[in-house]
Amino acid sequence: MIQVQNAVKRFDGFAALDGATLSVPAGSVYGLVGPNGAGKSTLIRCLTGIYRQDEGTLTVDEQPVWENRALKSRVAAIADDWYYFPQAAIRDMCKFYRGFYPNFSMERYEKLKEVFQIDEKRPLRRLSKGMQKQAAFWLALSAMPDYLILDEPVDGLDPVMRRQVWSLVLGDVSQRGTTVLVSSHNLRELEDVCDHVGILDHGKVLLERSLAQLQDNMVKLQVVFQNGGGVPEDLEVLHASHVGRIHTLIMRMGAEEATNRLAVYEPMLVDAVPLTLEEIFIYELGGADYAVKDIVL
Amino acid sequence: MRSKTLYFNPTLFKKNLTRFWPLWGGVSLVGVLFPLALLTIVIQEGSFGHAVSDPLEFTKGYYLVVAYAVPVISLIYGALCALAVWGWLYNSRSVGMYHSLPATRKELFATDFLSGMAMMLIPYAITGALTVAVSATVGAMDPVGLLVTVLCVLGESFFYFATATLIVFFTGNPFAFVGFYGIFHFLAAGAEQLIALLMTQFYFGVEQAYEGVAEFLSPTLCLIRHVSPYGEYERIDTAEGWVEYGHLEFVTLQNAWVIGLYALAGVALLGCAWALYRRRRSESAGEVVAVGWMKPVFRYGCALCAAFTGGSALYVIFCTGFQTGATAGVLPMAVCMVVAGVIGYYIASMLLAKSLRVFRGSWKGVLATGIAAAAACVFISADPFGVESWVPEAGELEGAYISLHARNGYLDVDISDQATMQKVLDLHRTVLSEKERLNDRDGGFWNAGSGYMNLSYWVEGKRISRYYRLPFSEAGTQAQLESLQKAASLATDPVIQENNIFEQILWEDIVSTRLIHGYIGDIYHRDTREIDGMDLSPEQAKTLEAAVRRDIQAGNFGKTVFLADEEERDRLVYFGSIQLDYNVTWKPEVQNYRNGDDVRTVSFEISVYCTETLKALEDMGILDASHRLLTCAEYYGMEWQEREEGAYAAESFPEHIAEESTVGYAGEAY
Repeated sequence: MIQVQNAVKRFDGFAALDGATLSVPAGSVYGLVGPNGAGKSTLIRCLTGIYRQDEGTLTVDEQPVWENRALKSRVAAIADDWYYFPQAAIRDMCKFYRGFYPNFSMERYEKLKEVFQIDEKRPLRRLSKGMQKQAAFWLALSAMPDYLILDEPVDGLDPVMRRQVWSLVLGDVSQRGTTVLVSSHNLRELEDVCDHVGILDHGKVLLERSLAQLQDNMVKLQVVFQNGGGVPEDLEVLHASHVGRIHTLIMRMGAEEATNRLAVYEPMLVDAVPLTLEEIFIYELGGADYAVKDIVL
Repeated sequence: MRSKTLYFNPTLFKKNLTRFWPLWGGVSLVGVLFPLALLTIVIQEGSFGHAVSDPLEFTKGYYLVVAYAVPVISLIYGALCALAVWGWLYNSRSVGMYHSLPATRKELFATDFLSGMAMMLIPYAITGALTVAVSATVGAMDPVGLLVTVLCVLGESFFYFATATLIVFFTGNPFAFVGFYGIFHFLAAGAEQLIALLMTQFYFGVEQAYEGVAEFLSPTLCLIRHVSPYGEYERIDTAEGWVEYGHLEFVTLQNAWVIGLYALAGVALLGCAWALYRRRRSESAGEVVAVGWMKPVFRYGCALCAAFTGGSALYVIFCTGFQTGATAGVLPMAVCMVVAGVIGYYIASMLLAKSLRVFRGSWKGVLATGIAAAAACVFISADPFGVESWVPEAGELEGAYISLHARNGYLDVDISDQATMQKVLDLHRTVLSEKERLNDRDGGFWNAGSGYMNLSYWVEGKRISRYYRLPFSEAGTQAQLESLQKAASLATDPVIQENNIFEQILWEDIVSTRLIHGYIGDIYHRDTREIDGMDLSPEQAKTLEAAVRRDIQAGNFGKTVFLADEEERDRLVYFGSIQLDYNVTWKPEVQNYRNGDDVRTVSFEISVYCTETLKALEDMGILDASHRLLTCAEYYGMEWQEREEGAYAAESFPEHIAEESTVGYAGEAY
């Protein structure tokens, strides 16, 4: 289990993390989403022992991450800008990682060779960005980590390889109970793989729930009021829009409760539609002053 | 396999060595040239039948390398090794990778340091092993010398790599590392030079050379100047009374303890490096200054250095032309320093911010810089320590040197006797008392050019110099300025002249001398109307030397040095000079590099005032009614006539010179 309590990290006075609190259950796939500059990468760097938080606590399995060699040997991370030695090939990096990660499995490394199909003796700098990312996954998964921390992990991978990589990761989750924390802007993809989601904005976690809870807690309704009327003023909605007589309302509550509330106004039509993660992200952040603005240029 | 020790990671160690093998391999390759050269010498010497198997000579060679080569090599190579093993700290991607690995910072620090040290020592080890092998093949093994050398190389390598490691953590940028590393090693010497530069511009006559006030803070300079090999050779007194030197009896590395002290300092610096690394933030990769509290030090340090160097440069460019005295004006210098300081402040701010937009809200820093620069200028110009007016007491002097250069001659003399030193000090005080007149460029003394007086004193092992421009060349000023009168008087002083004329054989490193030959140039033969030089036998040379010494004692030398009138000087000084050749014996420790310099020549010119010398030449029959010396005026006249008439011919000598003049013939002249 990964736990972050009131983590604060400042850069020259600017708080990239400003009291962030989140909890990643063991064996879950946790999607960390948020707008650019929300503090996702900073949080991940704190969790991997690169940065030291100024305040708060960060623990994995109830142990602090900072300077914890034993713990870090169970955590593999793939950074957005994965580093490799300039002259090194995958094989060289494999030897290097093997010296650090006690659980590094050569057997798995050899098996994954068939999946990734990259010349392991070819210098990494000569590989494409996508192939370098594959190499990063190859090595990270060979390290047999209990915790996998991924920052924009599938950027640059083709759709087939994305599926392949996610399949391998989810396989580890199901078979070995690996806990995965993944930061990404690709919400459509996260929706498919995550069971928990945390939304980070301005260094704070706005909300974190299981994906099911998140979808249960917000509803999209298509409503037609009688006599072509508009949305009643006393009705609490997160967002409202209309096309002709059909009003689309986003409300922070369950579908049943929302339908009951609308029943008071005797609408001609009420239809509840499930929200995508992207819509939840947009409307949640809309409340945090991060909505898509209609700007006329 | 994972190391069981917590402080060492063999994977990282191996990776460092394999990644950077071109660095240590290349340096090792260069190092191998040294034993190869030694082998060549050994083979060549052997083929000539010389013995080259003296272990102490090899040890002396090792010590020379330790004293002069290793500090410089380690200074440069240490920086390269540090950049290699710690270079990952300067890139945020690599910092991320290293710090996310399951290794503690302690482990990374220790392993990287050991890898760097290994890279430092591999070339020395390869070079040393091959050198020892070469020396062993000729039976020249000296275990003690070898052990001392190994320890010293270890100490120096450790110290330099420790300093490089410390500097690595100050910055997050490789270029800044190079700058900081240079500053760290030469800050003390550089600061001294900067202050000296300003003092030289402000203080009348002050010529501050590098004295090494805090030289221990500039380790390379300190090591090179203080650590040196010293050996003593077997002394053999020959039957002829000469001293000869045999084989090397013992050799030692003087002040080797300095290396030990620096190695200890290296341990402390390494501790500081570790403390910095612990506090260092990973996000500082790429920053010029990685340590928060160092940022203001860097900013204001840059500003101050810029104020001193840039201020002086601006002053020289824009203000020197308007200067009325020999020393700089306080106000224009202060303005220049403030301007340069503010520029330095902004440059430092831009480097720290990695942006050109640093002007907003910077007025406080600029104001502080301006005030500090102006205050420093005023403080130094006020001479609070009395540097300008300082004249040592005769009793505290360990030695002195005076150089007087005028239009018609010069003196460069080392002085060690108290009475003469007192005269020099008196002259110095007189010059200072006439500062106002001498320092005033508009005062009329400088129209006809000037000469200069350079004084150097040795006090407590340090050399302190003063430099004064004096209007020696201006006719009539000698009567007005007491300092010029005293300088002229000093020029005829027997001790001064003795040292001036015989300087070539009075060197400290000369053990004994023997006059072996003499020569007198440009004697005019009245009968043949030819000019020719003449060799003197050792006996004649000795007689002449005695006469010269009598003239020196009588104050007959040096009378023409401060003559303002060149024509008068030409009428009084003979064109032909006298040479005395001495065979000299050097001290054994300098014999190596003095090889081939066994004969030293004393050469000087004489004037009509040198009556004893002229009389001796006459007594020896060298000068008589038919053979005499030509004054410069006569010689130049002759040359002029020769040019006018187009061909060299003795007959072309002016008749009044050839027949009537008696100058140069002592019997008639005096």
